[in-house]
Amino acid sequence: MNLNTFYLAVAGLILAPLVGGLVAGVDRVVTARLQSRMGPPLMQPFYDVGKLMSKVIAPASHWQGMFVRWALVASLASDVMLAAGADVLMCFFVQAASASFVALGAFCGNSPYSKLGAQRELFQLLAYEPVFMVGILCMAKAAGAFDAYSFMAAQGPLLFKMPLIVPGLLFVVLVKLRKSPFDIAASHHMHQEVVRGVYTDYAGRDFALLEIAHWADVTVVLWICSFLWATSPLTMVVTAGLFLFAALVIDNISARLTWRTMLGRVAPITLILATANLVWLYLE
Amino acid sequence: MIDAYIGLLVLWPVAAGLACLVLRAPALRSMLVMATAAVLAAAAVGLATQAPLTASPAFLASATALHVAQAASFLFPVYFLLMGLKEKHPLVIVFALLQLGLAAFGEFGLAAPAEVKTAVVCDGLSLALVLVVSLVGSLISIFALPYMKHHEEHLHLKTSRQPQFFMILLAFLGFMNGLALSNNLHVFSAFYEATTLCSFLLIGHDQTADAKKSGLRALWMNSMGGVFLHAGILLIQKQHGIADIQALVSPALWTGTTLLPLALIAMAACVKAAQLPFQAWLLGAMVAPTPVSALLHSSTMVKVGVFVCLRLAPVFEGTSTGRVLTLAGAFTFLAASALALGQSNAKKILAYSTAANLGLIIACAGIGTPVAIAAGVVLMVIHACTKGLLFLCVGDMEQTIGSRDLEDLRGMIATSPVTALAASAGSMAMVLPPLGMLVGKWAALEAAAASPVSMVMMAVGSALGVVCWVRFTGTLMSGVSMGSKADPAAHTSSLSTGPILTMLAGAVGLGMAAPWLNAMLLPAGVGNALGGGWGLMPPLFITAMLAWIVGIKVLGRQSQAKLATPYIGGLPSKEAGSFVGALGRNWTLSEGNEYATEFFGEPKLTKLAGVVAVALLLALVGGALI
Repeated sequence: MNLNTFYLAVAGLILAPLVGGLVAGVDRVVTARLQSRMGPPLMQPFYDVGKLMSKVIAPASHWQGMFVRWALVASLASDVMLAAGADVLMCFFVQAASASFVALGAFCGNSPYSKLGAQRELFQLLAYEPVFMVGILCMAKAAGAFDAYSFMAAQGPLLFKMPLIVPGLLFVVLVKLRKSPFDIAASHHMHQEVVRGVYTDYAGRDFALLEIAHWADVTVVLWICSFLWATSPLTMVVTAGLFLFAALVIDNISARLTWRTMLGRVAPITLILATANLVWLYLE
Repeated sequence: MIDAYIGLLVLWPVAAGLACLVLRAPALRSMLVMATAAVLAAAAVGLATQAPLTASPAFLASATALHVAQAASFLFPVYFLLMGLKEKHPLVIVFALLQLGLAAFGEFGLAAPAEVKTAVVCDGLSLALVLVVSLVGSLISIFALPYMKHHEEHLHLKTSRQPQFFMILLAFLGFMNGLALSNNLHVFSAFYEATTLCSFLLIGHDQTADAKKSGLRALWMNSMGGVFLHAGILLIQKQHGIADIQALVSPALWTGTTLLPLALIAMAACVKAAQLPFQAWLLGAMVAPTPVSALLHSSTMVKVGVFVCLRLAPVFEGTSTGRVLTLAGAFTFLAASALALGQSNAKKILAYSTAANLGLIIACAGIGTPVAIAAGVVLMVIHACTKGLLFLCVGDMEQTIGSRDLEDLRGMIATSPVTALAASAGSMAMVLPPLGMLVGKWAALEAAAASPVSMVMMAVGSALGVVCWVRFTGTLMSGVSMGSKADPAAHTSSLSTGPILTMLAGAVGLGMAAPWLNAMLLPAGVGNALGGGWGLMPPLFITAMLAWIVGIKVLGRQSQAKLATPYIGGLPSKEAGSFVGALGRNWTLSEGNEYATEFFGEPKLTKLAGVVAVALLLALVGGALI
């Protein structure tokens, strides 16, 4: 590891959650505009987290604080790995570990809604993980290596070699941003059927840290999507922005699906498309 | 010195087992078992310091030894035949007769093979199996001491059957070591049949109707595997006139000839490793006392299957037989993971997960590159430790609460915290980075780069595994909404928590040592072909350690905190387990996991997966035939 990689890793550690927070802010502004509202200021997510940090609330389980911190470390680690040009597949596994810790913390909670949310979180994991992994395998095949720098150094945009993984990646973005129709494990508002699902039992500082972990996750997912057109930093940002915008539009025009539909229909269809693309890359 | 180590590894457990049969006092038996554990551990470590090595100890190399092996190829089938006749089990009879026929043909119809150069060859792979058998197997034997005492108290037996039990248990370890080390195909196959016999006797140990049925199922399936194995060995003898395993696995020997014999042996290995469609015998094995299932799943029996495949792997590299084997292994990984997800029976979850992980190892063997083989061996070692741990934990909890259903194990962390936490840690070690199982899976995925369909199956299987184990952990650690069923564990014995904690240390420690294990297993000169590479692991360990420290500190702080009242969308009512909720009604709260049986239900999925698996195995043999 040379010094340059080290600086990049540190930059990833600091910038990734900030970018994720900004994405959350953009999300709220754009959603408000789509619904003809003013919406909160861009920096509102940061104010929210700041306020949560100052709250001391009784936990719902003795274990939650530990799992929250593990989730945060795993999420930040996956960002750092991408920034340092590490193996993208391993980065993906580390990011999945973070999701597992969030679910485990929810299992430990004492509200039934929390445990219900944890179950659904796991089914979401089951639905998006394979297609996400196959998407990464497609990129690795086209780039000829598994490390992030090779993905970014690939000749020409990867998109044209793997158009069929786009629906899958969009599905992943929707799930990871907890957007409708896949806000199955956790809704944004607590008056809905799952209350807040997997988040029900998290509160105060633990919840603030979880929110930062979520920002870091969002950055990882959008970053991996942006590999599709990685010819310059600008195209990467635009690609990620397009995925984000598409997710917001879909969020506003669709209603929540059940986990059965997600697991029985959406996941297999996107997976078959992505697999077809992978096989096609091998036949070329 | 080397001969002495090998002698201790193979003969001592058999002798100690016989001693158990004669000296029936419990205290003596405990001493014998613990002495065996110590001897095996010392001898295995001693052997490890000398490896890689070749040797010809008299008890494996002499003419007498070879005659004994020859005789064994008749005696085992005869015993199986008698068993089949006694129980009137047609399949057992048929396969025993077939084995006898093959043995007779080998004895009288074929020229004797060329003499084997050295009776024992111990390379990284054999050493890995010897260490697994001698360390994990010994720990399980120690755990069996208090377990079997409770078990028999529960059954109210007039005369203890523990002497027989421990005799077979210990002898099993010796046979496994012999199998791992022997370099002569005929000696190997004698040990192979011995493991079939041991597992049959151990599964049927309780002598209930269920136990007998499962035992016979294991017997007929594995003697069918034996038929494949003998057929393969005889074909090799006919084609090449050799019985030397090291000579056999050189790819040069097989250029231009059919791989049929190896395909048959791989098929036999698939039976032993409980690959689909042969998973039934392993599922049945859970009727036996927990130490038996722990032993079968982690350090013995099923490991024979993956050991054989990994042994043959160099020949498979780049062949169509290898490609089909990779597909078959990856398919078992996928299908068995899906079957595990639909189960609420904790032991069935473990059983299916065993089949799944072994499938992954067999997929590695099919790929056959040095990188893939190393990944397979790493997976084999770490799986043994982790699965052994999980079985002991589940068995312990089962003895505590009298149920092995995951729903009954909900919130087990309040009842028996040590075991539940060990089980949680073990199941996390199955799926989380940077621990060995996940790292092995990752290495396998990247090594499978030539086979896109296998990669996709591995990806889906991996996601299924994560969900299965996180749910398992979450259920054990589940918080309590209403009421409390916590009563501290009724019995604890240092002989049961000792092995559990040692195994936990081993599972986590080995999991962390995976990159170094991998480096040791790679032959010199093979560069690290994985992009980004295993070099990524040490920084991840440091990160994980830091997270661990921070997490434990927070846990310490929070464990004093008063917990929030549970959010249940209502107010607690006077009746236990219910609350006043919507519409002012009294609602009863009940919790349970969603097992999604419409997707992962056992009956339908078993049939479907069985058909695909049979097709793949037919392709394995048929492809080699053409």
